[in-house]
Amino acid sequence: MKKFFVVSIPIVTLGLFILIMVSGNYLKRPLGNDDNIPALVEVINNNIMEEKWEKASTNTEKLNDAWEKVIKRIQFSSERDEINAFTMNVARLRGAIRAQDKAISLSELSEAFEHWKQLGK
Amino acid sequence: MLSKNFSRKKVKTLNEGLVVLVRGVIGFFSLLIFARVIGKEQISQLTFFDYILGITIGSIASELTVDLSTKAWSHWVGLVVWCALGYIMEMITLKWRYAAKYFEGEPAIVIMNGKIMENVLRKMKYRASDIVELLRNKDIFDLNEVAYALIEPNGQISVLKKPEYLPVTRKDMNIKVKDSGIATEIIYDGIVIDENLRQYNKDRKWLYSQLKSKGIKDPSEVFLFTLDKSGNVYIDKYEDKIKKVIDIGDYKGPY
Repeated sequence: MKKFFVVSIPIVTLGLFILIMVSGNYLKRPLGNDDNIPALVEVINNNIMEEKWEKASTNTEKLNDAWEKVIKRIQFSSERDEINAFTMNVARLRGAIRAQDKAISLSELSEAFEHWKQLGK
Repeated sequence: MLSKNFSRKKVKTLNEGLVVLVRGVIGFFSLLIFARVIGKEQISQLTFFDYILGITIGSIASELTVDLSTKAWSHWVGLVVWCALGYIMEMITLKWRYAAKYFEGEPAIVIMNGKIMENVLRKMKYRASDIVELLRNKDIFDLNEVAYALIEPNGQISVLKKPEYLPVTRKDMNIKVKDSGIATEIIYDGIVIDENLRQYNKDRKWLYSQLKSKGIKDPSEVFLFTLDKSGNVYIDKYEDKIKKVIDIGDYKGPY
């Protein structure tokens, strides 16, 4: 029994560590109704294409809120560089939508989505 | 004004301290577990490669903790790879002597019959002054005393002195000695260890009589009580009747 614990405690500990470290790829996916980043990106994309700037602005704030929720879950397993890059993309996107600039909005949104895809991988 | 226009709510920045804390815990305990698996050798026996291996593994673990720009996972995989390779190398050298000679080197004789082997020294990249220094560490100041000296793979020197410089032993003098064995703790921190008493076929009654003869009423007064095979007893009480402890420090410090 003693031997069992001597061996199993380190194994369980290492298993837990691995779980924490690789969880990012799973935890970035939507767990609730308001943290679905890919869906929001798609909605904002449509808003911009249809030049519905008011809606795009509201949805960008929703994306911001969703991102805030996701960060809390993934911060232990993901690289800061990707997290910061996504945050910056959202900030620039907000400005581009205010300026009603279709080209910059789309490119920022596209880059943000690319960072989300790389997150935790 | 700007922030009012552009950002309704600021995205909460990451709690770096918390992330470092979690990654620190991961790094610390991973390293502890890996070190227990691979490391049994004492520091003094480390070969040059073992030394570098240790530094590298430690450096990866520190990056795992504080380098937040990349994922913990990639650092952790690096840590596992270095530890696993270290472990495999150790297993190979343990099982296969040919490989051990190749990987870890072997002792080289640098002084033979009192003569310094210059070629060996050059090959080992040791200067004569290094050898003299290592010998001095062994309390040898006169090269004439040395019959053989070897440089071990860990960089230390082993010396066999010439017979005429070896100290006289009890055996030389034909003096009979009793085997004292290794002393065992009977009382540690005021607590009697009955298992060790039993090893010597003694009981508490014997112990109390021993304590009484030293004027001790209770085992709890004793800090350390040891006993060896020939019956030698060492007793140290908590209360040492030494009033003035000699201070060997010769420089005025903070305490």
